[in-house]
Amino acid sequence: MGAILSIAKTTIGEAIRRRVLLVILLVGVLFLVIAPGLSVLSLRQNYTVLTSFTLGVIQLTSAVIAIVLTVYLLPNEVERRTIYTILSKPVYRWHFLLGKYLGAVGALGMMMLLMSTVLVLVFRIMQQQASMDDVLQLATAPIFFFVQMSLLAAVAMFFSTFVSPIVNFFLSGGVYLVGTLFSPVFQDLSNNQTLPAAVKGAATVIHSIVPNFAQYNIQGGIINQGPELRSIELYYVQIVVYALFYIAAFLIAGMMIFDRKEV
Amino acid sequence: MNLAIETKDLTKTYKTSSGPQSVVKNLDLQVERGEIFGFLGPNGAGKTTTIKILLGIIDSTSGEASVLGNPAGDIESHKKLSYLPEKPYYYEHMTGVEIMQFYASLFGIKDRDLCERLLNRVNLGNDMNRPISQYSKGMQQRIGLAQSLLNDPELLFLDEPTGGLDPIAHIEIRDLILKFRDEGRTVFISSHELSDVERICDRVAIINKGELVHQGRLDQLLSGGRIEITADNLTEEIANKFRGDDFTVSFKNGRLIADIPDSAHPGEMLDAIRAANGDIVSVIPRRKRLEDLFLESVAGDNVLKGRKMSKMTDDHNAAEAVEVTTEEGAN
Ligand SMILES: Nc1ncnc2c1ncn2[C@@H]1O[C@H](COP(=O)(O)OP(=O)(O)OP(=O)(O)O)[C@@H](O)[C@H]1O
Ligand SMILES: [Mg+2]
Repeated sequence: MGAILSIAKTTIGEAIRRRVLLVILLVGVLFLVIAPGLSVLSLRQNYTVLTSFTLGVIQLTSAVIAIVLTVYLLPNEVERRTIYTILSKPVYRWHFLLGKYLGAVGALGMMMLLMSTVLVLVFRIMQQQASMDDVLQLATAPIFFFVQMSLLAAVAMFFSTFVSPIVNFFLSGGVYLVGTLFSPVFQDLSNNQTLPAAVKGAATVIHSIVPNFAQYNIQGGIINQGPELRSIELYYVQIVVYALFYIAAFLIAGMMIFDRKEV
Repeated sequence: MNLAIETKDLTKTYKTSSGPQSVVKNLDLQVERGEIFGFLGPNGAGKTTTIKILLGIIDSTSGEASVLGNPAGDIESHKKLSYLPEKPYYYEHMTGVEIMQFYASLFGIKDRDLCERLLNRVNLGNDMNRPISQYSKGMQQRIGLAQSLLNDPELLFLDEPTGGLDPIAHIEIRDLILKFRDEGRTVFISSHELSDVERICDRVAIINKGELVHQGRLDQLLSGGRIEITADNLTEEIANKFRGDDFTVSFKNGRLIADIPDSAHPGEMLDAIRAANGDIVSVIPRRKRLEDLFLESVAGDNVLKGRKMSKMTDDHNAAEAVEVTTEEGAN
């Protein structure tokens, strides 16, 4: 356990110093700060428009950071041969992979916390009429983005055990896009009784392999939820459990591949 | 006997675009406890690959390897060994002492004093709070040795520990390694610095293209020195008289240079030279050097043929030289 946490800590230390990540983060923060001043948004001073714009900025920035950060974690260790000194200590490979993943999630969390703080500050200053409740409401969205990004990082970690960073970038990005944009579609297809069995089957398979990233977009997605949803709290618990399950599945699959891999 | 490292028929084959390529072939190594074992071979011979197999970083294709009595890669053994990779890299954002604490934590050690003591031992006491990015190559190599001592290892794998270091750093590291042996540790060292190896190793193995060529005690491998006799004012006749299997005799402008094994009594040749009214210029006994053994072991490679040829300047060697060239051309 100590080894996993040390590896995670070191990974965070390295990640928050990576220039490319800091630049992406800076661009995100910059958009958050100037958002209220953008003419399109300020034209109608529309609270909803501003909210979805800024949350969109946080989501996009976080997704790019999550992928760029994670795809290089293992390959860099191999290339710089740092992994050899670590694996020659009494450290199992799954310790190493888990430590790297936790480090990625930790660094991501810190960067997202920074963006969320900026978001809340911007709303406090620019939207004086917004109540504290509104702001808190607003701040819950990034929390579920964080869950979403942790899941995305697990996907990227899984791919990084067998593909190169560049390929991984597009693979993980693709899975994220499909899981965000089309998950509801596949869900509908797999539940549609009028479709041929083959199509239904294919939709079900895709729907169960590609994580449903869409459900973490609390802003819009929640309205479309079915009637079985009794309370918002239950929904939150449900999607977090879903994420943990998928994260575990991707990491375990990654560990199994990584264990046999020649590094 | 209780060996620190033992391999039997160890083989590693990579699938490459030009078909399967064995980079380690049927390797049988025996490393005894408490010795400094030199692992030699030209670039690409398979040294690093072998070390990685012994550490379980990669798997062998066939054969057996045991390290400290356990199969290679066993986590229990990893508690008692350590590894300094060739050209290592350390997380640059960390300071010397932070790196040490990081590696210590991988053993579950939380002792900051120990980290500082080891840094002092490798003369990094004054630099321990500087980030690694400011360390010179020599300092990085020394911190590598310091981290390799964290678990008080029984067995150390050092892959080219003196690569790229200046002569002073070189000597420092050599002395450190000698102390490791005094402390009862086994050191498995891969190196291209033959003079270092000759000075510190008890036993060596020389591999070439993945195959073991020699293994044994250094003093035994290097026994059988040679004697070089130089004499002037002679005729070719006497030179021809002594040409033989293990005698390298050259003759030019009345000067004879003979290189003979020390087991062949030189008196006979010296008498013959005197009888022919020749002047003996020098008789130099030469201990066999590790370099000689090394070159001999890897002979047959084209590089070496070239090297051999360049030495052959004398007329009488021309025929041999031509022979070598044809052989090379046939390859
Ligand atoms: N992953 C791999 N796939 C294919 N061939 C490889 C791989 N790794 C190493 N090799 C080959 O194996 C051979 C042995 O490499 P190795 O690094 O063990 O040599 P070495 O003896 O350590 O050399 P050096 O003295 O230069 O460090 C080389 O020819 C190398 O090209
Ligand atoms: Mg090597």
